[in-house]
Amino acid sequence: MASSTPNITVEPPSSAIETPQPITSSDANLILVPSHSRWFSWDSIHECEIRNIPESSKNPRVYKYYRNSIVKFFRFNPNRKITFTDVRKIIVGDVGSIRRVFDFLEAWGLINYHPSSSLSKPLKWEDKDAKSDAASNSTESPSLVPANEAKRICSVCMDCFACDKNNRKLCARCFIRGNYRIGMSNTKFKRVEISEETKNEWTEEETLNLLEAITNFGDDWKRVSHQVVGRTDKECVARFLELPFGDQLKPPVDAEWESEIVGSGKSSKRMCLTPLNDAINPIMAQAAFLSALAGTEVAQAAAQAALTSLSIVYKSTRINYRSFPRNTLQQDASVASDGGNASDSIQGSLLRANLQLEKEESDVEKDIYEVIDVQMKNIQDKLINFEDLDVLMEKERQQLEQTKSLFFLDQLNLLFRKTSAPTTGEGNHVKSN
Amino acid sequence: MKTPVSAFYRNPVKFRMPTSENLVPIRLDIEIDGHRYKDAFTWNPSDPDSEVVVFAKRTVRDLKLPPPFVTQIAQSIQSQLAEFRSYDGQDMYAGEKIVPIKLDLRVNHTLVKDQFLWDLNNFDSDPEEFARTFCRDMGIEDPEVGPAIAFAIREQLYEIVVQSVVSARESRLSKKGRRGADFFPVSKGGAVAVDLVKLFGIKSSVVRKRKEWDVYEPIVDLLSNEEVDILEAKEERNFR
Repeated sequence: MASSTPNITVEPPSSAIETPQPITSSDANLILVPSHSRWFSWDSIHECEIRNIPESSKNPRVYKYYRNSIVKFFRFNPNRKITFTDVRKIIVGDVGSIRRVFDFLEAWGLINYHPSSSLSKPLKWEDKDAKSDAASNSTESPSLVPANEAKRICSVCMDCFACDKNNRKLCARCFIRGNYRIGMSNTKFKRVEISEETKNEWTEEETLNLLEAITNFGDDWKRVSHQVVGRTDKECVARFLELPFGDQLKPPVDAEWESEIVGSGKSSKRMCLTPLNDAINPIMAQAAFLSALAGTEVAQAAAQAALTSLSIVYKSTRINYRSFPRNTLQQDASVASDGGNASDSIQGSLLRANLQLEKEESDVEKDIYEVIDVQMKNIQDKLINFEDLDVLMEKERQQLEQTKSLFFLDQLNLLFRKTSAPTTGEGNHVKSN
Repeated sequence: MKTPVSAFYRNPVKFRMPTSENLVPIRLDIEIDGHRYKDAFTWNPSDPDSEVVVFAKRTVRDLKLPPPFVTQIAQSIQSQLAEFRSYDGQDMYAGEKIVPIKLDLRVNHTLVKDQFLWDLNNFDSDPEEFARTFCRDMGIEDPEVGPAIAFAIREQLYEIVVQSVVSARESRLSKKGRRGADFFPVSKGGAVAVDLVKLFGIKSSVVRKRKEWDVYEPIVDLLSNEEVDILEAKEERNFR
């Protein structure tokens, strides 16, 4: 169950405008701001600030200075929790106003907001409450805001207890007084420590980690929980049981599980408030709780049925958690051998299709090359043509020049003859010979 | 045109801090079982009294002090507030009062020495704003210096103002019949009112004489660890 209050990540305060981005919880440069505080901006004062803090309207500039200094100071190192005293030592102003601004910012999650800690995951029930409250008086009182995230609040009188049925939470006082809804009884409640939380989603990494730890340490759940960072031993056991294992992996565990159900079922039934919850062995605790709910015989039958069906599921999905990525080839081979022909033919046709595709691609390429070649040749021939033409032209020009010069000579001769003709008539005769 | 000096005198004003916000400087120095807690901050006297206990508890929790500190801190704050409030309603003479304010403080590794004039009649003055601007202009990186400067200014202003109330009371007792406007009280202690006429009469300009520039220039020093240790030892000795 992931947290249902979405978080908005915000860039560190270099820019005046914040752009919401998808959630990445492990990035050191991103600051997380709860969604009910998304109105926050460095340069302006929002309505809810004006409503809650008198200073913001009386002296907006100074208020902004206080607020921005506090937020900057927190975001400088967002992993720690800043105290009011830290802040008032560095801000110039009267401590009363600073305290009010600090409390306001803390209540709205703009400072000291650490959503990755397990304390901040609310239950679905609380979310519905908080959402409907939020809808009705949206940004009104910051006292509702803590109910949204960090603490587990009793639905009746706002304190902490837990019941798994209907996800209702009651405080110790209400429980004793019998303040629960009609239809629910004493036995249906389970005592939960305030530090315990609802199940977070197990990431693949964590699951792998868990399995490694189990193969290393076996039943020593304390060490397993140490290896799997952030999970208590109970959570590890719970997760381990959820995983689709067959008989192959941990036969001793299964046998223990069954026998413990039988053994503890009787004893736990007697004690309605499940004191076995505190048992050191977390398997015992889980088993005790579940069997208390269901009854011994039912629990036994259920366990056996679950185991058999789980082993079937395991075989059919062919998942083997023991294998590390390097060993998958082996597994694949063995898997393929008893898998049958269906997958082979599929593989084969896939390959053939691929090959054909490639062939066609190469054909197309070849054709394109040929086309290009032809074009190139075309251009070359044209070029040669032009060159020849050029040469011809040159020749003709030269001939033209020659005839021009001959012509000129002829003209000259004619002129001489003309000038010399009237003086000597014989010249003509001589010439005409 | 030379304006007569008497025109600057005003009728007595009701007691208040001569700043835009009527805030009180609170100083704490408590020792219990070998734990010593020293602090100085500014308080708004119009905050409800419940705020005092809240603040004391918060401080003890944040600084992880032993629990007996809560009552001691609350008591100390209450008594200083009560003293402040006791002056309420009394008259103080405004007069023409430009007083010198001196800064001589050390916060962690930063040493600040400065001297400047402050107009007591300017009820819009703001020591906090002055401190912020000072730190910004002088490029002071340690964020704890600002509040210390604002506190030092306020403390001195508070002293001066209290003096003026006291002397006004005395003068009223001793010199009945005299009109307040004619009386020019000389405050005892460090802050001697500067004679404006002498400084800013027709002949002289508003700009300070060059030889006085060094006196009025702010000095900000960064100390090394050894120097800090030496100074701390000296302060301890003075305290004891």
